[in-house]
Amino acid sequence: MKDRLGRVKSKAKEQSGSNLLRPVRRQIMDLMSHPNGQLDSRIEIVTPENIALEYRVAGPFRRLPAYLIDLVICGLAGTVALAALTLLFTLLGLPEVGWGLSLVLWFVLNWFYGGVFETFWNGQTPGKRIMAIRVLSIDGRPINGLQAVLRNVLRAADAQPIAFYVVGLVAAAANRRFQRLGDLVCGTMVVVEEPGLFRGVVRISEPAALALAAQIPAGFQASRSLARALATYVQRRGQLLLARRIEIARHVAGPLRDRFQLAPNTDLDQLLCGLYHRTFIAERPDAAAGMGASPFADYGHPPPRNREAVDR
Amino acid sequence: MKVSDLLESRRASWRELEELCARMERWWRRRLDAAAALRFAALYRAVCADLALADAYQLPPGTIQYLHRLVGRAHNQLYRSRPFQRAAWARQLFVDVPQRLFSDNFLRLAFVLFWGPFLLSMWLVHVNPGYAESVVGEGMLNKLADDFAHPPGDRGGMDAIMAGFYVSNNAGIGLRCFAFGLFLGVGGIFMTIYNAGVLGAVFGHMSTLPQQDNFYSFVTAHGPFELTAIVLCAAAGMRLGFSMIDTRGWTRLASLRKAGEETMPVAAAAVILFVLAAMIEGFISPAPLPYEVKALTAGLSAAMLLFYFFVLGYPRGA
Repeated sequence: MKDRLGRVKSKAKEQSGSNLLRPVRRQIMDLMSHPNGQLDSRIEIVTPENIALEYRVAGPFRRLPAYLIDLVICGLAGTVALAALTLLFTLLGLPEVGWGLSLVLWFVLNWFYGGVFETFWNGQTPGKRIMAIRVLSIDGRPINGLQAVLRNVLRAADAQPIAFYVVGLVAAAANRRFQRLGDLVCGTMVVVEEPGLFRGVVRISEPAALALAAQIPAGFQASRSLARALATYVQRRGQLLLARRIEIARHVAGPLRDRFQLAPNTDLDQLLCGLYHRTFIAERPDAAAGMGASPFADYGHPPPRNREAVDR
Repeated sequence: MKVSDLLESRRASWRELEELCARMERWWRRRLDAAAALRFAALYRAVCADLALADAYQLPPGTIQYLHRLVGRAHNQLYRSRPFQRAAWARQLFVDVPQRLFSDNFLRLAFVLFWGPFLLSMWLVHVNPGYAESVVGEGMLNKLADDFAHPPGDRGGMDAIMAGFYVSNNAGIGLRCFAFGLFLGVGGIFMTIYNAGVLGAVFGHMSTLPQQDNFYSFVTAHGPFELTAIVLCAAAGMRLGFSMIDTRGWTRLASLRKAGEETMPVAAAAVILFVLAAMIEGFISPAPLPYEVKALTAGLSAAMLLFYFFVLGYPRGA
């Protein structure tokens, strides 16, 4: 079964590189076999400067409120402009010009509100700014005017039937970057851009954990994956009850306790905390060499280019 | 060196970068002065280096996630969207678009799909009594007959309102026709044939009535621009939709993306034509001018279109 499916999949890959028309099941299998195991909304981008960074793709629950906010703003702006224009031109004695201009303005708002804002506000409309999302090209570059206008004109197709956005939702659900049809045509995607909370190292203050940390053999070094697991565990253990902590910690801490030849009644939760302390907080003899020697570690001053030039 | 110390030592500069980002994300006064911009660049490079080395430093996952967000946020401030470049758009509009349209098979197809059903529909009205009623609807036909019962005259200053209405209504239909082309071109084909059939029936029906002079006096002047614009929109939409079927060796998505880039300026040109047509339709068509003036307007606009498509569009070397 698996074999057969595998063959089907590889055949499909040969036939077309498109994500759009491939059946959803294969799509899901592709997702699961993706090296990053991508079932969440994270997208990795490598910029031309070779910086690999991750974005979270914005789903419907952020984009819909943003769209609704924009609709309200559009409606308000349209109403205010209508009132102002008709009033102004009525005072000038040409009321019908005011009405005509309002109709033109309505057309412009309806079709080009998003495109103009996204062009001049670097991929954001007021609604998107409030919801902390931004339109980017799929390679991470900012969008240009053409992309901004086109993706908003093609909204008419995505909004079908009527204004229920069924087409857009289906298209978005069928690809990794949650792009609606307009996004697919323009090569754009909508990403979440909020200031993340800084999460540093958790301080371990339990004496039992510190005592256990001292008992861990000096030569022991946590591997990267173990370090990652430790950090995740310690960050979350505050929300867990004691029995649950032991249940989770047991899988890693049990074998380690045997390896370190600790007493069988050692508190496994505390053992992980001690190991965390050793890994992240206590001195690490080996790692001292390269660490901190970032090529850009000296942030003190911008390079004194001008002065140098004068000196020469 | 301890990880906690490392984070502590870096934290200040990360926070500073965050503050600079927040400053650039404000609603107004977003520009940084020169010193702050230099500082921003230095901090950005530094945080990129930190992110690149985060794995080697064995930073906690929470911190790495924070760094990803910070780098992404700063990246989006460093690289801004480029607004419209007027020269580039003028070049697109007056050089690239006519050149592309001159040899565009979809434009020819759209032309045939529009004028074929239009003429067919007109002919059917004459040979087949009751056809116009079944296509357009009796109420609509009666309303049209009433509207054109009198020769164009003073409409009490309705001109400006109607011009505005024509812009928003007709250009909207055109853009929708373009966007619906995305449904494998079927949407555009449907809308083109439908519009052509209805228009043909109306034209055929009106030409059998005594009001036909009033009718033709109204439709002549803006006809060339408006009908060309709708055909352009349909062609652009079809090209967009068919690019997913005939990919010419590209992947479907890449082919679609390329078609999008090429057809958007065509749709923009069509919108401009719609606006011109609306101005004529609002101010010249309903005016009590002699028929010759309106025919002259139509002739001039047709000449401009011919110039656009055949002189500007004629294939040049390279």
